[in-house]
Amino acid sequence: MTTIPIEVTVNGRSRSLRVAPQHTLLDVLRDDLALTGAKECCLVGECGACTVIVDGSTVDSCLMLGVEADGAVVTTIEGLATGGRLTPIQEAFLDEGGVQCGFCIPGQVISAHALLQASAHPTIAEIEEGMAGNLCRCGCYQQITQAILATAEAGRR
Amino acid sequence: MIGRVGASPQRVGGRGRVTGLQHYVADIRLPDILHAKLVTLDCARARIVSIDTSAAERVPGVRLVMTAADLPQPVPRFGPQFQDRPVLAVGETKYHGEPVAAVAADSRDAADEAARLVKVEYEELPAVFTIEGALDPAAPLVQDAALRPGDNLAATNVLREHLVGWGDVEATQADLVIEHTYEFPMVTHFAIEPHAFMAAPDGDGIAVWSSIQHPNWLQKVLADILGLPLAKVRVHAPDPGGAFGGKQHAKYEPLVALMALRADRPVRLVLTLEETFQAARRASAKIRVRTGFHSDGTFAFQDIAADYLIGAYADIADRVVGKGSYPGCGPYRVPAARITARSILSNTTPSTAFRGFGAPQVNWAVESNIDAGALALGIDRLELRLLNLARLGEAFIPFDTPADGHWEQVVRRAAELIGWGTPLPPGRGRGIAVGIKSGPTTGLSYATVRLLADGSVIVFAGTSDMGQGARTILAQIASDELGAPLDWVTVVMGDTAVVPYDQQTSASRSTVLMGNAVLDACRDIQSKVRAMAARLEGIDPSEIAVEHGVVLLPGREVPIVDVLKPGLGPLGGELIGNGEMRKEGDPGHPLGGSVAFFEFNCTAIEAEVDRETGDIVLVRHVTVSDVGKALNPLQVRMQDEGAAVMGLGHTLMEHYIFDGSGRIRNLGAIDYRIPTSMDLPLELLSDMVENEDGPGPYGSKGMSEGALLCVSAAVAGAVHEATGTVIRDLPLTPERVWRSLQEGGNG
Amino acid sequence: MRSFAYSRPATLAQAFKTLESGGSDCRLLAGGTDLIIRLRDGSLQPTIVVDVKRIPELRPVIREEAGRLTIGATTVMSEIAADERVRRHFVALAEAAAVVGAVQIRNRATLGGNICNASPAADTAPALLVYGAQVVAIGSAGSRRIPIRDFFVRSGETTLRRGELVMAIELPLPTQRTGSVHLRRTRRRGHDLASVTLACLVDAAGVTRLAFGSVGPRPVLAVDSSGVLADDAADDDAKGAVLEELFATASPSAGSMRASPEYRRAMLRVLGRRAVGIALDRLAGGGAPG
Repeated sequence: MTTIPIEVTVNGRSRSLRVAPQHTLLDVLRDDLALTGAKECCLVGECGACTVIVDGSTVDSCLMLGVEADGAVVTTIEGLATGGRLTPIQEAFLDEGGVQCGFCIPGQVISAHALLQASAHPTIAEIEEGMAGNLCRCGCYQQITQAILATAEAGRR
Repeated sequence: MIGRVGASPQRVGGRGRVTGLQHYVADIRLPDILHAKLVTLDCARARIVSIDTSAAERVPGVRLVMTAADLPQPVPRFGPQFQDRPVLAVGETKYHGEPVAAVAADSRDAADEAARLVKVEYEELPAVFTIEGALDPAAPLVQDAALRPGDNLAATNVLREHLVGWGDVEATQADLVIEHTYEFPMVTHFAIEPHAFMAAPDGDGIAVWSSIQHPNWLQKVLADILGLPLAKVRVHAPDPGGAFGGKQHAKYEPLVALMALRADRPVRLVLTLEETFQAARRASAKIRVRTGFHSDGTFAFQDIAADYLIGAYADIADRVVGKGSYPGCGPYRVPAARITARSILSNTTPSTAFRGFGAPQVNWAVESNIDAGALALGIDRLELRLLNLARLGEAFIPFDTPADGHWEQVVRRAAELIGWGTPLPPGRGRGIAVGIKSGPTTGLSYATVRLLADGSVIVFAGTSDMGQGARTILAQIASDELGAPLDWVTVVMGDTAVVPYDQQTSASRSTVLMGNAVLDACRDIQSKVRAMAARLEGIDPSEIAVEHGVVLLPGREVPIVDVLKPGLGPLGGELIGNGEMRKEGDPGHPLGGSVAFFEFNCTAIEAEVDRETGDIVLVRHVTVSDVGKALNPLQVRMQDEGAAVMGLGHTLMEHYIFDGSGRIRNLGAIDYRIPTSMDLPLELLSDMVENEDGPGPYGSKGMSEGALLCVSAAVAGAVHEATGTVIRDLPLTPERVWRSLQEGGNG
Repeated sequence: MRSFAYSRPATLAQAFKTLESGGSDCRLLAGGTDLIIRLRDGSLQPTIVVDVKRIPELRPVIREEAGRLTIGATTVMSEIAADERVRRHFVALAEAAAVVGAVQIRNRATLGGNICNASPAADTAPALLVYGAQVVAIGSAGSRRIPIRDFFVRSGETTLRRGELVMAIELPLPTQRTGSVHLRRTRRRGHDLASVTLACLVDAAGVTRLAFGSVGPRPVLAVDSSGVLADDAADDDAKGAVLEELFATASPSAGSMRASPEYRRAMLRVLGRRAVGIALDRLAGGGAPG
């Protein structure tokens, strides 16, 4: 099988690897880099369980080829907490009850993190719109919104 | 971190979930593993003429192509109620997506390619995929009559008929009789984690990994099929990424286990979301309700005939039909009742347990019919419900557990939160409905708790934490009883080689059944601590009490750990407690056992309808449950609000769509819509009633399904008040509401 | 996903060469949010996927020059929705771009991809139609401008010639004040494919342009030059009659599972009337500057 060399920075670490053209960024993260935080669910860009940040923007990693990440900077859920310390948004998810089964949560946390980077003090409507690409079948939407609001509020203090 | 019951600490296991380090089945890597892919046919029913695997076998990296012919003969069949489901299709596929073969290869790419290259010659056969179609006397039989020996319904597509009742419906006079037929759509669990399975030869036995709710039940299924003793079947059940009933029973574990044994290598199968739609769903239903009322609003009788469309294999579906329809009259005083329910086989995805377990379907019909009666009688819908509601201790189902809560408090609280009776802006309406579900009828849970030398605790419990938060609740109980901080408690679950037996994780049972087993194990340790303290103090044990983590000695109290350390002595060691909780069955009971507790919920909705488009805007959604005692109030809210959102899914947007020959058209996330963060009600309020009157630890009750039960009827009631239109089919899509308004809309 | 070769031309010339030799075995990759779904479900099975994102001429850019706003083909929806110039002059396009999928999709989906995919439900198409956009296509024989109303043929098919790429989309800056809006119907409030997608533009001269998609094989532009729709004094019946005429070409598919033809037609009328009202309000409120 033909593979293509790519250089990609994942969670601050630069990686050189060869990827098959038909493998998505999600495949590359999970299978080649053993970063299983991003999850596989719908594979059509509807559920957001595979959300990661590529060059500053959230994307569904199931709808991007691994080769397209050549030269990109990628942040996955594994790249948020550093030195064993959770980020404020991760803590807030736990404090506000935003986590049940947890399968969608890596994607949710990444989207919430990016949302707060883009807008330090989002309104509830902005949060609901900005998080609509991350399905939660446990139905924690209200708690997740609360976690984002609480994090924004704590940042204001 | 204080873990006392009644507090809302951070979820135990939450850290792994927010960091991506929690390993679900698909995240676990085994060396040398083969990737499996199912081979299916794109039709609802077909006769398999031949299967040519040669091209698939030539794909580099392919190690195994398995068809029914490669399985032990006769092909093993399994199922929790009827052993009707073959490991792979035998001769005929009976639903869209039933596997006829499976391949295993070194890579996913190779497995996918080989699966495409398995050449199946088949003849499409006529399929039944609606209730009417299945009941047509000319309909093809879904199940071979030979699988149903001695069954006088074997020549029909009716798998079972259930009849429950009391009083004499025919002889009961009523001032008003309201009769309507209601339909409930076919919907699917859509857990964000698709089902995932792995199996690996393990010495002289097998190890299986599955995102399963009932690991012990699976262990037995596999032992039977493989002819192994239970001790040689090790089931690893990592926390499921959402289950909702869809992961209770074995699906493809037997296949994957047989593949692993044949290939002599580990094999993994991770379903696509599309494949999960073809693996598990909720039964659709058509329910005729005839309600007799006296003119004062009291019920004269309920006469319910519920047809549930189940799939091609029974799974647990017939139990769902029997148990779900059983409390069909609701939590009311009903002098005469007749409930008939049929499970009807069809060439569709096998239906199975799904949050609410058959109750939401009947609830939708009966609560909507009660609204129709209230309207005809000119009695307020809330008042009519309160008038008939069973009060604590009333045997509202004559032969079962009496009403076990102050349910009127729940209804009044919901009414208060929705502002029932206060003026509404124009174009708005309110609806209110109550829901009841029978809890577990049998149960058996064991727990082992180890109090280690430093006072930290390990709890071994066979419950699956699929998001409901059982791990946290069990840790809180142990923390409370043994005085360890919550972060000094570890809960080990999901490994049949390590954790003692638990019957199952379903029916909102775990807080009550496993909770009591853990409590029992902690009490076992407490009694040992008491003996230790007596020995150390040189006094009689009767002078000592141990509770909530402290040892009460004459004149003083000390933490358990202060007795434990000297008590264990220089060698250290630990104290081990064993606990057990049984709920025995009753063969004479219609459900095989009385109900351990009822889940009770009241949901109230305020809605506005765009009459031009049919859009429903939920202005406020109130859900109130009787929980006995909230061991963790935040988790109660999460479960209630989550169930409410899930209920909005089947109420407003979810349904399978079939083509004319029984293929599912909306497989996958693009055309099967579930609620997003933007689909929440403008306000979603949950509340709970706590009277510490449940059978679980500290007076708790199970509560994870209640808030889903009566969402549909409450929403439809609000739509009716807002617009005057009555709709008796779900989901209430904008198009359906629009059409009803166009047609004049009184059903 | 089936295997394929991946090509990432750095220049137009390289791209043309690949397209020429690969022919119909090639598929162009921009944002990939439609393509990758179809590669996975097997409805497209190219042998070569040509990633056009590194071609300088197609780069994501929005620039104002010579009386028009030029949007590079690979500009993503999020950038379009957030761009001040788009929001000032072409608000319906900003509104349409803001509802293409959820944010993760909008961060990848490109304007060029959206129109080349030629889905009848493409949300940006009606907006581009009412604004009279031009598609700048380039092939080895040179570039040409295709009026957007001549661009769409049917789902998946455009009037692009074999070997041609979309380089950019040009929007003429309005020469008079206008009011415009994009509206759509979906099955839920969260992101969804439109069962009707519609844009409306009213100018100060009283001409109303309505474009709509998801109600036929391709998005369609209809123009009311009578002034009736834009006339505040005209009664509802008169406006209704004009709308009926404008929507006469709508031919929603009976085979769709997303909405019935009757509902789509009915919603077209509802959205059309509402859109005219909003566009007029916006015009009255100052509108987009001319």
